[in-house]
Amino acid sequence: MIFDRPTSTELVEVVSEFLEKKIKSNLPDHLAFKTQIAINVLNIVKRELQNEEVLTKESREILLTLFKDSDSDKANIEELAKQIKTGELKLENKELQEALIEITKKKISVDNPKYSTYHKLVE
Amino acid sequence: MPNELQLKIEEFLLKNGKEGKVTDLIPLTGGASAETWRFTFISNKKTEQLILRKGSGKKSPLAVLKSEEAVVQQKVKSSGAPVPEIVAISSDDKDLGDAYLMNLIPGESIARKILRDSKFSEAREKLAFQCGEALAKIHSVNTNDFSQVPKKPIREELERLYLTYKSFNQPLPVFEYAFKWLNNQDFTARKDALVHGDFRLGNLMIDVSGLAAVIDWEMVSIGNPMLDIGWMCINSWRFGQSEKVVGGFGDLEEFLEGYSSISKEQIDTEEIRIWQVLGTLRWGVICLIQVYAHLNGDINSLEKAAIGRRVSETEIDLVDLLFLGGK
Repeated sequence: MIFDRPTSTELVEVVSEFLEKKIKSNLPDHLAFKTQIAINVLNIVKRELQNEEVLTKESREILLTLFKDSDSDKANIEELAKQIKTGELKLENKELQEALIEITKKKISVDNPKYSTYHKLVE
Repeated sequence: MPNELQLKIEEFLLKNGKEGKVTDLIPLTGGASAETWRFTFISNKKTEQLILRKGSGKKSPLAVLKSEEAVVQQKVKSSGAPVPEIVAISSDDKDLGDAYLMNLIPGESIARKILRDSKFSEAREKLAFQCGEALAKIHSVNTNDFSQVPKKPIREELERLYLTYKSFNQPLPVFEYAFKWLNNQDFTARKDALVHGDFRLGNLMIDVSGLAAVIDWEMVSIGNPMLDIGWMCINSWRFGQSEKVVGGFGDLEEFLEGYSSISKEQIDTEEIRIWQVLGTLRWGVICLIQVYAHLNGDINSLEKAAIGRRVSETEIDLVDLLFLGGK
C-alpha cells in the first residue's frame, strides 16, 4: 500500500458525515431526499471497502464446497448461474439452496443491512 | 400571460363543449413515459380541479398509449371500482397529442405518509379490504371491450423478463433459480382478465376514509389476474412495514375477504406465494432496467444508479419465499 491515511474507507466516511450533518439539513425537501440517496450510496461503498475481501473469500469457499470441484477457476457467480440454468445443479439440491441463501446474505449485508428480510434471516 | 399549453388545453376543452379559463397549471412528478399536470378550470358554471396526463412522445415498451389508458379507466369506472372520471381524450395526431383530461381526486399517494401519518390511521384499517374489493371489480371488466390493451400471457411475460435480465449480462444465480422454478409452476387455473399491472401504494389515491382512486394505468394488460394480487403482497411494496403483508398496511385475510366479496374465485396462500415470487422477480428485473438506463448512458441519474444495489433486496426476498417459507 503506497497511499497515506486517510484510507479510502475513512475518506468516504468523512464525506458521508459532511453531507449528513452540514448539507442535508440546509436543503429544500426534494434535494435533501436526493442527498440522502447520495449518503446511502457512500455508505454502501464504505461497507464494501471494509468487508469486500472477507465476503469474497467466504463466498468462494461456499462455491468450492458446492461444486465439489478442484478447479478453483470455476468458483464464481457466473458459473453458479450457469449450472442452475443448465440443470447441473438441481433445484431440489439443499446445498445449492443453502449456498444461495448465504451468498445473498453477504451481498445485502453491504447493500442494505437495514432491510427487513435480512434482519429476519440473521436473527 | 397564459402559456402555450394553457391555451391548448382551453382550446381542446372548448372543442369538447367546455368553455372557460385554465389557471394554476402545475407539473406533478410523473413516470418516465408520461407528463402529469394539475390545473384549475373556471367556467361560468363552476370551478373544477383537473389533471392532464400526456405521453412524453417516447414510446415505452411497458406502457400503453395515454388515450388507451383513458378508455380503460372509463370501462373500469362502470365496474364500480374507484377511478378518476375522464373529462376528454385527445388522440395522438391532433389537439394535445396523446393525452387525456380527468378529474383530480384529492388524497395522498406517497406510501410513507399513508403508512405513518396518524390522519390515515382509520383509512389503514379498511384499506386491505377495499383494495381486494377494487381489484376484484377491475378483474371483472369484460376484456372483449379493448382493442389496444396488450395481451400478456404469463408464460410469454416470464420469457420476456428472462430475456431482459439476460440482455444485461449480469449473472444473478437467485434470478436464474427463480425463473426456472416459475417455469415449473402451473398457471392455467385462472381465466384472463384486465390486469392493472402496477397496483400498489404510490399508484393509489388514499383519503382519510381509505381508497379514493386507482391511478397510473400505463402498465395495464390482459393477462393473469393473480399478477395484481401477488404484486400487492410483495415485501418490496411494504416500505419497511414488512409484518403487514398487504402493502405494509393490511393482512392477507382482509384483502382476500374484500376480493371474495365481489369475485367467486377461490385463492389460496400457496398460489399467492408463487405470484409473490413472480412479482419480486419482476420488480428485480425492473430495477435492472433502471440501473442499466444509467449505466448505458441513456440517462445520468443518481437514483437510477442507486437502484442497482437494491437488486439484492429482491434476491433476499426471493430466497426467503423459495426456501424459508416467506411471508
